[in-house]
Amino acid sequence: MDMDAILLSLKLAFWTLVLILPFGVWVAHRLQRVGKSKSWIEAGLALPLVLPPTVLGYYLLVGLGDKSLFGIPLVFSFTGILIASLIVNLPFAIQPIQRAFEAINPEIIEAAQVSGLSDWQIFRLIELPLAWRGISSAAVLTFAHTLGEFGVVLMVGGAIPGETKTVSIAIYDKVQSFDTSGAGYLSLILLATSLVAIAISYGVFGRQASRAKEWGA
Amino acid sequence: MLKIKLSQTTPNPLQLSLECFTGELHALVGPSGSGKTTALRTIAGLNHAHAGKIECNGELWFEASEISGITTLLNPAQRSCGFLFQQYALFPHLSALENVCIPLYNSVSDFGERKVQAEQWLNRMGIGELSHRMPHQLSGGQQQRVALARALARSPKILLLDEPFSAVDAPTRQGLYKTLAELRKDLNIPILLVTHDLREADLLADRITVIDQGVGLQTAKPQILFERPRNSRVAELVGINNKFSGVFIAGNLTWDGCSTVFEVLDKGKIPPNTPVAWVIPADGISLHAAPSSSSIEAYVEQISTLGQIAVIQLLLNNATHKLIWEASAAEVKRLELEVGKNTHVEIDGSKIHIMPLRPINDPRRLTS
Repeated sequence: MDMDAILLSLKLAFWTLVLILPFGVWVAHRLQRVGKSKSWIEAGLALPLVLPPTVLGYYLLVGLGDKSLFGIPLVFSFTGILIASLIVNLPFAIQPIQRAFEAINPEIIEAAQVSGLSDWQIFRLIELPLAWRGISSAAVLTFAHTLGEFGVVLMVGGAIPGETKTVSIAIYDKVQSFDTSGAGYLSLILLATSLVAIAISYGVFGRQASRAKEWGA
Repeated sequence: MLKIKLSQTTPNPLQLSLECFTGELHALVGPSGSGKTTALRTIAGLNHAHAGKIECNGELWFEASEISGITTLLNPAQRSCGFLFQQYALFPHLSALENVCIPLYNSVSDFGERKVQAEQWLNRMGIGELSHRMPHQLSGGQQQRVALARALARSPKILLLDEPFSAVDAPTRQGLYKTLAELRKDLNIPILLVTHDLREADLLADRITVIDQGVGLQTAKPQILFERPRNSRVAELVGINNKFSGVFIAGNLTWDGCSTVFEVLDKGKIPPNTPVAWVIPADGISLHAAPSSSSIEAYVEQISTLGQIAVIQLLLNNATHKLIWEASAAEVKRLELEVGKNTHVEIDGSKIHIMPLRPINDPRRLTS
């Protein structure tokens, strides 16, 4: 069994989640107040959904290559596939959170304003707990999607064991080399991990919105 | 004291000036879309007018003019308003107690103290035992009481009520009226109530401002408003039944459609030969079985009896005018009123209130 690939996929999913969720919450919240340019921004953020992974992979390969935007080449490295994963997951992280913020009755926000709360307090005490279902959905989608991401990661990272060879790439390699039982094991692990992640997320976060307890009630 | 003067043309027109005194319950009454909720939201800082001034207890909350734009603008959190929303707007993820704790978040730093104060407000609203229930576990009336506790917990300088009783059933409404009446004695702050229900405004308010198409038409005590509406539109909006038209010439009112002339009192504000609307309150009308020199013959078209009260619809002057008269069932019997029979109406000219069809300073008056 390819333990390195499993750990690498989990590491990639974890860091993608940690980095993209706060950004997703921030962008989704800001999008509510954007005027005319909103549909263009939304279209840009949704682009990874419709672009072929090879097209996205090509641009990332160019952007992260020798003349990288970051000054050093990032292709064929964990950082490179992490950046690719972050970009690919933008729509999965932002859209559920954006829908959740939009579903909050504007009068509730106004009630918080006239109750004397600042914008930051309203965000923390009212909007964030009310958008919790959307945030947990975004987390599950991002996590599961990162575990299964194949095309872009292959284009940007190749298949370096322990560095860029994730489970889905390992499965592909095993099928190519006719190791069907090894591919079957890894597929089963990927299936089970994704299922458990979704089940835990729905069970823990889905039933009830989080309640901030800090006002002492 | 709350002093406001608001002016804007878009998106909704608004031309409103009013003062609400400390301890006063002032009702803003008008039909749907008349701008009353816009005015209330502007006071709370949830909307901004293009020009105007909002002042509360000498503190300037908002000032703007068409030329210099907004010069003073306090945000809703800085204004210290208690705002009661029509649909309660409780925070759905928080219990009743937590909802009331929210306005205390910045003023009371101790969690325990915040909880104690919130519990006191809920007890005062008579729902202390429901403090741990979530909003969806409360009835409409109970939710409105939590919302009222939340609006008052911050010890606001003014209380703004946006159609607060329209979403609850009649018995619950009566209970909320009582609570509000009791509260206002202790609060001693200006209370502004927006409602489309005139009976409610008459029952609760010290003064009423009638608003239509964003324009404040008249501010007066309820009794004055019903007896002496400033113009025809106000009379229409306050639901005065016996409203007619005529022409005013030097102390005399000629009733349109007949030859009857009344001698009426006027303060000299209406120019001669002005087409006017006129109203007659119930105590200016009397019915008699026998005719007299000043009475007008009337045909009883309809009698609707509601318990001990009867509403009689009369046709006068060859069915040109319709007059509504309310009397007790005993009075109807004494006068031997029956549908299809004639009776005699006497109208007391001194009780007639005349008003221009449009405001005196309205240029459309000259063209109508």
